[in-house]
Amino acid sequence: MELQEIQKILLGKFPDDILSFDESSDILTLTVRKSRILDLIQYLKDDLGYLFLTDLCGIHYPDQELQLGVVYHLHNLLKNTRIRVKTFTSVEAPEIDSLTGIFSAANWMERETYDFFGVIFSNHPNLIRILNVEYLDYYPLRKEYPLEDQTRTDKDDRFFGR
Amino acid sequence: MEHLGKEHILIRPEDYDKNFSTLNLGPTHPATHGIFQNILTMNGETIVDAEQTIGYIHRAFEKLAERRAFYQITTLTDRMNYCSSPINNIGWQMTVEKLLGVETSKRIDYMRIIIMELARISDHLICNSVIGVDSGAMTGFIYLFQEREKIYEIYEEICGARLTTNLGRIGGFERDLSPLAIKKIREFIAHLPKVIRQFEKLLLRNRIFMDRTINVGGISAERALNYGFTGPCLRAAGVDYDVRVMNHYSSYNDFDLTIPVGTNGDTYDRFCVRQEEIWQSIKLVKNALENLPEGSYHMDVPEFYLPPKEEVYSKMESLIWHFKIVMGEVDVPVGEVYHSVEGGNGELGFYLVSDGGRTPFRLHFRRPCFIYYQAFPEMIKGSFLSDAILTMSSMNVIAGELDA
Repeated sequence: MELQEIQKILLGKFPDDILSFDESSDILTLTVRKSRILDLIQYLKDDLGYLFLTDLCGIHYPDQELQLGVVYHLHNLLKNTRIRVKTFTSVEAPEIDSLTGIFSAANWMERETYDFFGVIFSNHPNLIRILNVEYLDYYPLRKEYPLEDQTRTDKDDRFFGR
Repeated sequence: MEHLGKEHILIRPEDYDKNFSTLNLGPTHPATHGIFQNILTMNGETIVDAEQTIGYIHRAFEKLAERRAFYQITTLTDRMNYCSSPINNIGWQMTVEKLLGVETSKRIDYMRIIIMELARISDHLICNSVIGVDSGAMTGFIYLFQEREKIYEIYEEICGARLTTNLGRIGGFERDLSPLAIKKIREFIAHLPKVIRQFEKLLLRNRIFMDRTINVGGISAERALNYGFTGPCLRAAGVDYDVRVMNHYSSYNDFDLTIPVGTNGDTYDRFCVRQEEIWQSIKLVKNALENLPEGSYHMDVPEFYLPPKEEVYSKMESLIWHFKIVMGEVDVPVGEVYHSVEGGNGELGFYLVSDGGRTPFRLHFRRPCFIYYQAFPEMIKGSFLSDAILTMSSMNVIAGELDA
């Protein structure tokens, strides 16, 4: 199936909810309203053969109105086409539907995204931190937490050998 | 957080009268080869449920990468799957090349194939010999570790390091394959089949080994796909997905490659698939080395490939480029790419978002073990504790890759 064809089918199916298509990228990329993400992924899996959830990760654009994004990579293994689906949410209400009902693989990937970006996946069976300690009270991959300035001189580094 | 998995760890009220016990397997258990914690609910010697805790060696690579210039990230990738670090290194370099639009020459592609396949061999050698150890056969392990040592000597000859290799550069290689390296590879490839045959004679049709591994930790193809399995674990379940064949990165399509598949997805199938992949890799290394074209070992990408050191001291242009690269003052195109390579454990993906700055805006590593290790409780439910250990070692879960 050609990319244009997929694009046409998806636009016919979700006319108001697909916000943009990007063909200039290496993979067909589309942005969808977060309320329809579950329907879109279900449709891609059941009807267009994107059976394999390759990757799911978060991203943070501090300058946008909807700052937090989740990026899904799906793979049609039979036709060897990939698709990238993005959806954005605000920091104040970062709820996005969980994919765990469709892909078991999404379980830990969503926990990782929650752990680092604070995206709350509704209906996730066990949404707790996965790589960081449980008592961490911030989401470390957000852009408001820059890494330490490497040129700072106010720290006593005698004990750390730096 | 007081809600931390209480209902998963403790025995449920309805099971109070069943004499279940809780067993803490890990975080540092000698049989798990790495830092993995599994809290098992046991009924006698049978596993009823398992709760996994991971993240013990999390080092925040994705955050660190947002502060580093592209060439500095190669050293982070080393420390993910440290059993086959060159694959990670080269995978990352190819991702950057994809973003920059650099086409590599056949010579570089073939050199990469040689090194990546050697890395795959070393990864599979470790995994399969450890399956032997966990089922009680120490001998094969010692034989194969001698061979892995030879691979590490080859790395040493190519890049100077053994484990965390930092091998290759964006746009090619730091130096050419030396005659000694080529000699070592040839000798290794000539000698390895004998050792592998010996190892297979030891285990492949060994009654005890077969009894310990057949129908242990199996998973169906459908569940495996749903769980995002890739690599040998997926192929053992019967799905012939291999990134090398599907996407032909680095001129893999120039070579004849057979994908071995299993049927049951159990420990024995995973063992056999890895064993066959070693044979395929030997063939690939041999073919790539025979057909290695002449030419330069790096492409002309002055913005990323460091000029030769002697020119830096004598030529103005080279000095400028050297400074610009080291300080990360070069222009990077804006865009996003996803590139994946077939790592030792499966599809190792790099999702790179660049905003044109000196560092990535966002870099996400798709680590194959992280995604398929979550199926572990499902695979061991109802089996014995000793089988769970074997299942884990046959999944080849590498702590560095799991926790990134």
